[in-house]
Amino acid sequence: MLKLFRARIISLALLIFLVVIFLFLKVVPGGQITYTRDYDSWFKSGKGFIYGFTPAERVDLKSGQRPRLVGDPIYFSVFTPRTFDQASVTVKYRDRLKSGTPLIEAGVLVDKLVWNYDLKPLENKLLDQLKFKWNRLEDGARVILQSEKNYHSLAAFENDLAKGQLKNCPGGPQTCLVVYNYQLDLQYRLPNYQSGFSLSIDKPLRGAQQFYIYLNNEPWRLSLELVDLNQNKDQDPVVVILSEANRIISSQTIPDDQAQPASGTLERKSLILEEAKLPAGVYRVEIKANEDIVIKKIVSSTNKLVFVNKLWPVSTNQDLTFYTNENYLQVKVLSPASLQTIRFGAEDFLAAEINNQYTFKTNSNALLKEIKLTKDEVILENGGVFALTPDSFFNPQLTKLDRFFTPNGGTQYLIANYQTPRGDENLKTAVADFNLRGVYREKGKYSFMISVPGLRADDGQEDYLEIKEISIKLKGRTLWQKIFN
Amino acid sequence: MAKDFQLIEREIFYFFSLALLVFICLEIIWPNIILAYLNLNYLFLIWLASALVLLIKNKK
Repeated sequence: MLKLFRARIISLALLIFLVVIFLFLKVVPGGQITYTRDYDSWFKSGKGFIYGFTPAERVDLKSGQRPRLVGDPIYFSVFTPRTFDQASVTVKYRDRLKSGTPLIEAGVLVDKLVWNYDLKPLENKLLDQLKFKWNRLEDGARVILQSEKNYHSLAAFENDLAKGQLKNCPGGPQTCLVVYNYQLDLQYRLPNYQSGFSLSIDKPLRGAQQFYIYLNNEPWRLSLELVDLNQNKDQDPVVVILSEANRIISSQTIPDDQAQPASGTLERKSLILEEAKLPAGVYRVEIKANEDIVIKKIVSSTNKLVFVNKLWPVSTNQDLTFYTNENYLQVKVLSPASLQTIRFGAEDFLAAEINNQYTFKTNSNALLKEIKLTKDEVILENGGVFALTPDSFFNPQLTKLDRFFTPNGGTQYLIANYQTPRGDENLKTAVADFNLRGVYREKGKYSFMISVPGLRADDGQEDYLEIKEISIKLKGRTLWQKIFN
Repeated sequence: MAKDFQLIEREIFYFFSLALLVFICLEIIWPNIILAYLNLNYLFLIWLASALVLLIKNKK
């Protein structure tokens, strides 16, 4: 009897101990935990926290023990038993990438409606090369590179940058400074701006849009006419946000109360955003919407309006003309009827396949490159801005370093938040830090991505990024802080 | 001695039965709390093995 009692006590204590351990791991009372997935390890006791890579056609799981990423981008989700505030993602990898794919980035999904990822660098080979060629000023992860040694200290550079007057840069920072993973709030002023001219855009655009407007101590009015196509099964709310330097000034939402969001019936919607008087400067308007939403008409009380990075014209049945400041254009044709020859910067480029992302580069040196389309249902993208008329063009953005960057005579300075990965060619270790507050989380999972811009699975090249290990260090509030704060 | 073994075998079976039940309940309440670390199929197999051992011994 005593033996039975002892055995029961021992087994019950063991079970309670195990349950307490699992509860401890769920609550993470210390607020910090690290989840790791080592692709060299053959044994897995549970499902783990870092799930597999998708989509399958961009991952080669057969050529080696480790997964090889052969297309861009690659997604993976991370299950966490509770929410956290910060994530430090460490990736151990080996790359066999060509010179046309110099960037490796990691990102976390911030907003699912517009599929927006907060991207951070893992490796930037362009920057790593320039670090040895150009003069370098460094402070932790912050790097300032200069083609000529005009500055001897970071403080002197920052002082001049704050004034918008960098040495050997008469046209201002917009003309000679390139940024990478760096937030810079420069007070942009448009010379010779004349208020009182409105702009009406009646070329329908599909999905989410972002544009910059310029105002000079004047009231502002934006009117949008929208059509909800009701094709996909998701609800189609529209959120319009007016902001200045990441500070939201106003926003409006059109909720979608359609009971059958995939009915196919067209719904007309409209929205007006007004501000009594806004100080001089650049403002960003973000229209958050999914691909069921077509913006039929935009009327803005200021004619200085440029779209940021992307345009998706639809349903016009007429020739279309746009203007961009970049000398490259990424084009994706979405329907066979839209295959065409695109005129870009006075050169012709053929888009002969649907759903294939073409990259067209022009040799034109003009400030504004003209884009002429004969058909719509085409997604146009680049790192610059798009204007619908030459008069509406202005460029408040600093040039961002992307995979097409080549140091030319105009670029004098480069500022970045970046650390070169550790290790050698056979195994590199890179770290990217993310703020997880307010980011998208569904069913206990955060969505991450690894991006190698330009890496394609279908180009027949033997280039890939081989992942050895992903480790995610998460930090959040402790149990003590959760209870008492 | 044989009785001691029988007791241990029975208690092992009870332990795994209760563990399986508790872990499944925890998993229903908080999904992935157990499965992230431990594949319950392994636990089920061990439980099944302990049940078979117990049944075979009792038959003898």
